[in-house]
Amino acid sequence: MTDVPFPEVSQRDPDAEGVLATWFVADGERVAEGDLLAEVAVDKVAMEILSPAAGVIHLLATEGDVVRQGVAVARLS
Amino acid sequence: MEPREQRDLYRMMVLIRTFEEAILREYHADKKPAFDIGAGMIPGEMHLSAGQEPVAAGVCAHLTTEDAVTATHRPHHFAIAHGIDLPRMAAEIFGRVDGLGKGRGGHMHLFDPATHFSCSGIIAEGYPPALGQALAFRRRGTDRIAVAVTGEGAANQGAFHESLNLAALWRLPVVFVVEDNDWGISVPRSASTCVPSNAERAAAYGIPGVRIEDNDVEAVHEAAGAAVARARAGEGPTLIEVHTLRLWGHFEGDAQGYRSDVDAVLGRDPLPAYETTLREAGVLDDDAVEKARHDADDRVESAIAFARQSAEPAPESALDHVFA
Amino acid sequence: MTSTDTSSPAPSAAPSQRKLSTAKAMVEAVAAEMARDPNVFVMGEDIGAYGGIFSSTTGLLDTFGPERVMDTPISETAFIGAAVGAAVEGLRPVVELMFVDFFGVCMDQIYNHMAKIHFESGGNVTVPMVLTTAVGGGYSDGAQHSQCLWGTFAHLPGMKVVVPSNPHDAKGLMTAAIRDDNPVVYMFHKGLLGLPWMARNPRAVGPVPEEDYEVPIGRADIVRPGRDVSVVTLSLSVHHALDVADELSGHGVECEVVDLRALVPLDTDTILESVGRTGRLLVVDEDYLSFGLSGEVIARVVERDPGLLHAPARRVAVPDVPIPYARSLEYAVLPTRSRIRDAVLELVDA
Repeated sequence: MTDVPFPEVSQRDPDAEGVLATWFVADGERVAEGDLLAEVAVDKVAMEILSPAAGVIHLLATEGDVVRQGVAVARLS
Repeated sequence: MEPREQRDLYRMMVLIRTFEEAILREYHADKKPAFDIGAGMIPGEMHLSAGQEPVAAGVCAHLTTEDAVTATHRPHHFAIAHGIDLPRMAAEIFGRVDGLGKGRGGHMHLFDPATHFSCSGIIAEGYPPALGQALAFRRRGTDRIAVAVTGEGAANQGAFHESLNLAALWRLPVVFVVEDNDWGISVPRSASTCVPSNAERAAAYGIPGVRIEDNDVEAVHEAAGAAVARARAGEGPTLIEVHTLRLWGHFEGDAQGYRSDVDAVLGRDPLPAYETTLREAGVLDDDAVEKARHDADDRVESAIAFARQSAEPAPESALDHVFA
Repeated sequence: MTSTDTSSPAPSAAPSQRKLSTAKAMVEAVAAEMARDPNVFVMGEDIGAYGGIFSSTTGLLDTFGPERVMDTPISETAFIGAAVGAAVEGLRPVVELMFVDFFGVCMDQIYNHMAKIHFESGGNVTVPMVLTTAVGGGYSDGAQHSQCLWGTFAHLPGMKVVVPSNPHDAKGLMTAAIRDDNPVVYMFHKGLLGLPWMARNPRAVGPVPEEDYEVPIGRADIVRPGRDVSVVTLSLSVHHALDVADELSGHGVECEVVDLRALVPLDTDTILESVGRTGRLLVVDEDYLSFGLSGEVIARVVERDPGLLHAPARRVAVPDVPIPYARSLEYAVLPTRSRIRDAVLELVDA
């Protein structure tokens, strides 16, 4: 199992949060390492989450959720 | 200047004037008794460049056909000086299938890809495409340049200012030429422009600005030489404004009732003035002058003949060439 | 194929086709063409480090550098005109007009130069450029930042006009536009880009093939077949029409949704074939009602054969009013699902 964390958006503030804006994969899909998984937004800046590994993805967050950096938004099995 | 260069300038000016006189003749021949702009073999508007020959001759002497020229609604002198195909230019003015644009463009929309020549009937709008041509030339690692021509009235249009800024910002290999012939149709420069010379406006864009007085072809030649060299060396654009002369009306049919200087116009004709200058310098004699006129007549009349014998485009072809 | 189906396969199934947002699909097409053809370059306001204010050029500067991804001053006449000149000399610019609403400051270079030079030169000069621009409302950007205006551009001869509605077509139409030797106006609706900072339709994210492909310019797509009504539409309205079609299917009304994908050339044959089968025509158009696309579509049907229509044609468009700022007013003029639903039901009852 590999966690897919919400990306680091601030080094100064460990509790910084952003929005999980868009999932590009669905729960239960098989993904490859480097695949585009999601886009997150911090204010108007968007960042992409690429898959850290291959596997079947299980989503832990929903589009629109506010998430703290580092918190797992999905798991790969 | 070398005598050979001086004779070349004179011969180019004679060629241009001869062509314009021929078009003047052809244009009016079948619009009688009362002037009807839509009648005859050359219908529509006609903007002739008699009196402005020194600008075209002086600038284009420094160009090759690999350099681009974007000209205005009054394009003939620059087209000829830049080496456009004269018979096909005449045919286009006559609206015939053998014209540069197969009759689709007419006198204000002459395009010759072989010499990278284009013109536009919209005031000042020839400046922006010249920037793009210059960008392409530089992108390809050449020292080719683009010369963009407008009138003094165009210097008050937004495209003029945007283009000077952008060309200066990107140090594009462009030479901006402003032909100040005193009149924006019927409005004198003093009533349109807040500064006495557009060469001053170059300073607002951080580029050199030069004003040439007296329609002096050799002064144009010298200033253009420096500007072209700057551009080829990658030093960016220059603005050259030439105080020139619109010998005839803004367009053919223009009665010029507004024109306060009309009595002085013939006395300012640059062609006899330069002929006199060169005769006095021993560069021209009767034979040379006669030869220049004779050669020009030959070329021009055969171009006109080519145009007249070319077919009119078929109506069924009216929808062709919208898309490639 | 549409991008409506976003459901997942069973957990141990083979990997499904990867999905992109419309914005990312556009960028992928531009990047692929830039890699393939050194003559392709991008120019516009904020398209460099910012990546385009609607994310139309994200990442291109890092990949291709500032010589090929050029930020410009706020000088639309100068830089769009420069694109024309560059294209005349054989480069292939992709130049962005930030909002279509800004065309007023530079329309001369667009319709008198970009669109006319090929014709005026008797076909001797080509202008192979793409003019991209953001269109559309629904997020309270007011009268000067919410227009569609494709009818205005389509009305003027000499430029192709394409309007993708989904990520798959966004990539394919961009590739086709860049490869086309004619000027192409590529109009992308802000509401279907999949931007994180704008409310979006779920179909703004969809399957996009990884390889290069073209969607032919001038070919409409019947994205949903149906026997009762031809809903001819484009852009974001395709998704609203599909939503209405799904809902009404449960009530026994089957809508056929035709995604035009381009206005120039307009796929008259597909429109006529669809109306010939259903006998009922509804045009849904987010551009202004009068003197535009919706009238043109109806005219083309009636010119061929008014007998094709078993009921008068209907159209749902933005009325002839500047788009209001207040949300209640804006949504009163946009072609919303409820307006589309009402029009379909009236057509079916007529």
